[in-house]
This record gives sequence, structure tokens and C-alpha cells, in this order.
Amino acid sequence: MTIKEKGYTHWDGELSERRFPWWPIARYGIKLTFKKKFFKPFLMGSFIPAVFFLVGIYISERLEDFKFMTREGTSFLKVDPRYFNTYFTNTGLLLMLVIIMIFCGASLISDDLKHNSLQLYFSRPIKKKDYFIGKTAVIVFFLSLLTLVPGLVFFIMKLVFSGSLKFFLAYPWLPISIVGYSLILAAFFSFYTLLLSSINKNRRYVAILIIGIYLASDIFYGIFYENFHSQYFSLISLRANLQQVGAVIFNQKTPAKIPWIFSFLVLCAICLLAALVLKKRVKGVEIVK
Amino acid sequence: MIVEVKDIHFAYGKVKALQGVDIDLPEGAVGLLGPNGAGKSTLIRILLGFLTPDRGEGRILGYDIKTQQSVIRRYVGYMPEDDCFIPGIDAVSFTSYLGELSGMPRQEAMKRAHEVLFYVGLEESRYRLLETYSGGMKQRLKLAQALVHDPKLIFLDEPTRGLDPQGRKEILELIKDISSKKDIQVLISSHILPDIEYACSYVVILNKGKMAAQGEISKLKEIGYNLFEIRIKGEKEGFLRKLREMNCKTEEREDGIIKVYMPFHQSKQEIFKIAAEEKIQVRHFVKSQSSLEDKFANVVGVD
Repeated sequence: MTIKEKGYTHWDGELSERRFPWWPIARYGIKLTFKKKFFKPFLMGSFIPAVFFLVGIYISERLEDFKFMTREGTSFLKVDPRYFNTYFTNTGLLLMLVIIMIFCGASLISDDLKHNSLQLYFSRPIKKKDYFIGKTAVIVFFLSLLTLVPGLVFFIMKLVFSGSLKFFLAYPWLPISIVGYSLILAAFFSFYTLLLSSINKNRRYVAILIIGIYLASDIFYGIFYENFHSQYFSLISLRANLQQVGAVIFNQKTPAKIPWIFSFLVLCAICLLAALVLKKRVKGVEIVK
Repeated sequence: MIVEVKDIHFAYGKVKALQGVDIDLPEGAVGLLGPNGAGKSTLIRILLGFLTPDRGEGRILGYDIKTQQSVIRRYVGYMPEDDCFIPGIDAVSFTSYLGELSGMPRQEAMKRAHEVLFYVGLEESRYRLLETYSGGMKQRLKLAQALVHDPKLIFLDEPTRGLDPQGRKEILELIKDISSKKDIQVLISSHILPDIEYACSYVVILNKGKMAAQGEISKLKEIGYNLFEIRIKGEKEGFLRKLREMNCKTEEREDGIIKVYMPFHQSKQEIFKIAAEEKIQVRHFVKSQSSLEDKFANVVGVD
């Protein structure tokens, strides 16, 4: 390979301080996730539950038209906070979110560690905070597509289909619950995924950890509950803790008969642990003492 | 001065990496030399703000290394020693991405990425995924990403590492071009003395975390000795002993050449006199130029 032309010219623009220095990191992360094999079909498939729930909202407003289909069993089509809670905390959706994490989050930090690219980031005017926000934004974006966006669409469509503000006046706090629980899911899964992504350089191993820990926590809960019949063991299940907090946010009865604050504290503890590990693991240079 | 540091101390736990280093680097290309563990990489990491010195102060391009790291990084380019890239993207995306992170607008960064990739000779492979790049191409790519935001100063850590002779020559030509014609200051950390000698006019030699020497290469090469390269036939022990008694330093090379560093006040005739006394044939005798390697060996104490 030869140098054909030494055509270096100075750039006449001005380097500026970005308002959101993390934005290029987030944009590239999202772009790279869409390039991943099987991701687009899986993401499309993940919208199926949302579509069903949306159809349910439509039918709930047109019960007369769909009488031949629904017959007597119309109670499940009652759209209220429980309906929203069912969507947000159903086991299927939570599992799908975990799988989305594998696609978009497993490689976020592990690839940077494997390919020594942290020093490229931190030799730029990028702070650690910007790096984390950029990486977190990738996860938040994909999670929001399956939580915040459908949740708000359900609410708006309910108002549109009903043609009145009755629903809003009955549950004015519901949009806040939708945003709040979406944020809790986003925050928890972001910390959880980034923590696991930062502890290993192999993205496949990280992917196994993301799904493995999630399922194992649930399996252990099942085993302990069967043996000791104490619902306090639900605290070791990530799914059960998320469902417990979700039920409180949507003003529903909690699935496990234990104080919801314990579940909330467990989730907070995992986030705190993740923050400490991330602070230690993500550095511009690896120092071998 | 582009880089001024005073009394910099840094320790990794109990290991003292830098002990009171004072450096004033002028404009142009500057070489940072030293054996393994001398503190070169630590110094570059401190200058870039990756590490905070335990003691001491410094300025780069007039900005404080402790309080204005963010501004420094905006105007400085860095080519790391290790292979580093972002998998799954091509060279243009990679370079423009890093340009954006430096503060360039997106369109400008993309345009500029094409320009610098042309400049470093990667124009034909700029749309290839980085995973498919050879070692030499990755070195060029690292140089491109260091240049994309048009820095005022670039730090090059072992820029010719892993390159074949032709690739090494081309990278050195680029570095020389950047520093001499493009008004960009260059600081090169390297183990390869001929590389520094080729590309730089000023050199800093570190040894065991301390400053061993610094100055213009041409002046540092004046080591206070005449250097002769000789080849002899016969018993050399007595010959070498007598030379050392005359305060000459001697160094034997693998190819049989003996380098004799003779103080200026001594006459080269003395070498022939000793050879005659020891009944040795002098079959090759050349007055040689002292190199940076000679100075390096002199101050660092290694061959």
C-alpha cells in the first residue's frame, strides 16, 4: 500500500462543546443494534403483545359490534389500570425485554473492553458520565419502544376510541404511572445490563449471563417457595420484584404478600452495585499494579 | 513551549513510575525515549488526563493538565499503542464517529474522515469492516482517527509497532510530513531509536521514572568522543584493555566490528600504536558518526 497523495489540509471549522456529548455514542449504539442479525424480526415480533392489547382497547369500546366474538366473557376487556398493569408486568413482556437487552446491551461495554476502545473515547472531550449516558440511552431507547411508547399509545387510543375524557378524569394519574414504571424498568435493566457487560470482554458470555441470571433468580424463587412456603423468597426473583413494584405503581394488589418496599430496595441495591462496579471497571487506561 | 511539566510525580501503589520529571517541549516533532518501565506511557497518560499526578503541575498548549483536561483533549490527538477499534463498523464510520466525539458537526466529521483516510493511504479500504484490517492498516487507521479533528498536537505511542519495513517507512514519512509541513506538533513515544532520529528534531530520554536527558538531537549526539569503527585480527583482550586504560570506551558488535569512543584529546594514532604493541592486524578503520543510540546507551546505561 502506498501513500498516493499527501493531501492533508487543515479543517477550517470550530470544534464546539456539545450540549449532549453522549448523543453520538447513543446514535451509533442504536445504529449498530439494528445491524445485528435477527434483531429486526425479533423487535417486530415483540410488538405483537402491544398490538393485541391495542385491539383489546378498540374492542372494549365497540362491544356491541363484537358481541358475536366476546359473548359473555367481556370482563377481560375492561380497560382500567389493571389492564395496563397486566401489559407492563406480564412475564412474557419482561422476558422479551431481557432478550432485547441481549441484542442491544450485551456488547455495549464488553466490546469496548475487548477492543481497547475506552482509551479512544476518553482521549476525546468525553467524561465518564457522558459515556455511561450514551450507552444507557441505547438501552432506554429500545426499552421505551416496548414500554413507554405502547403505554402512552394505549392511553391516547382509549381516549380517541371512547371519544370522551371520561377515562382520563377517572384515572388522571395513569399517564404518570406509565412514565414512572417505564422509567423504573429502563433504569433497572440499564444498570443490570451494563453491569454484566462490564464484567466480561466476551459478548456471548455476557448474553448468557443476562438471560441466565434473570431466569435462575426465578427458578430459585420457585424452588425455595415450594420448600419453605414463604413469599419472602420472591425477593430473590428479578421478575417478581419488578412485578411487585409495577403493581404498586398501577395501584393494584401486589402478587406477593410482602411489603413492596422490600422489592423496591432489592432493585435499588442491584442498581447501586452496578454503579460501583461500572465506576471501577470503566477507565481510560487499565492500570496493572 | 507546547508542553511544560514541572516536578511530576506518579506512583502505581508502591511502584514509583515518575519521580520529579521536568519537561519543556518546543514546537515540532519531539521523541520520547526510554527503556521499558521508564515512565513514557505514564507521562503520556498524565498529559492526556487519564491519570492525575500525585504531585507537580503542567500545561499543554497553555492549558492546565489538572483543571482543563477537557479542553486539552479537544485540541490533542492520540494514537494509542494497543490495537483499538470499534467492531461492526467501517473505517469511515469509525473515523467520523471519533471526530464527532471530539466536537465536530456530523456532516463535517464524515467529510473530514474521508480526507484523513485518503491522507494515510486507506482510501481503497475505507468501507471495509475494521475486523478485516491487517496490523499495518490498523496503525494507519489509528493515525487517521488521531488527525480527524485537526488537532494542534498529537501523541503517538509506538506508531511503527508491528509494521513491515515498507509500512514503517511510510508511517514515518507521514509523521515527518505532519510535523514539518502541516503545523501540527508531534510527540512520539518509541523504543526504536532510528525512528525517533528520522522523524524528530528534539528528544526527551526518560530512565527509571526520571529525566535522563533532553535536547536537540544534533546537540545530544555530540557526546564528547570521537567514534571509530575497527575490525581486527588477533588476540583482542590485551588490545581492548589498553584502550580502556586510555579512557576509551569500547563496544563489540555481533558482526565483529569494535566501536571505540575516544576522548577528543587523544590521537587516533594511539590505536595503531597499541595494535602494534599487541601484534594485532587492523583490517578495517573508519571514523564514524555518533548516533542517538550512542547517547541513549550513554545516559541509560544499556547497550
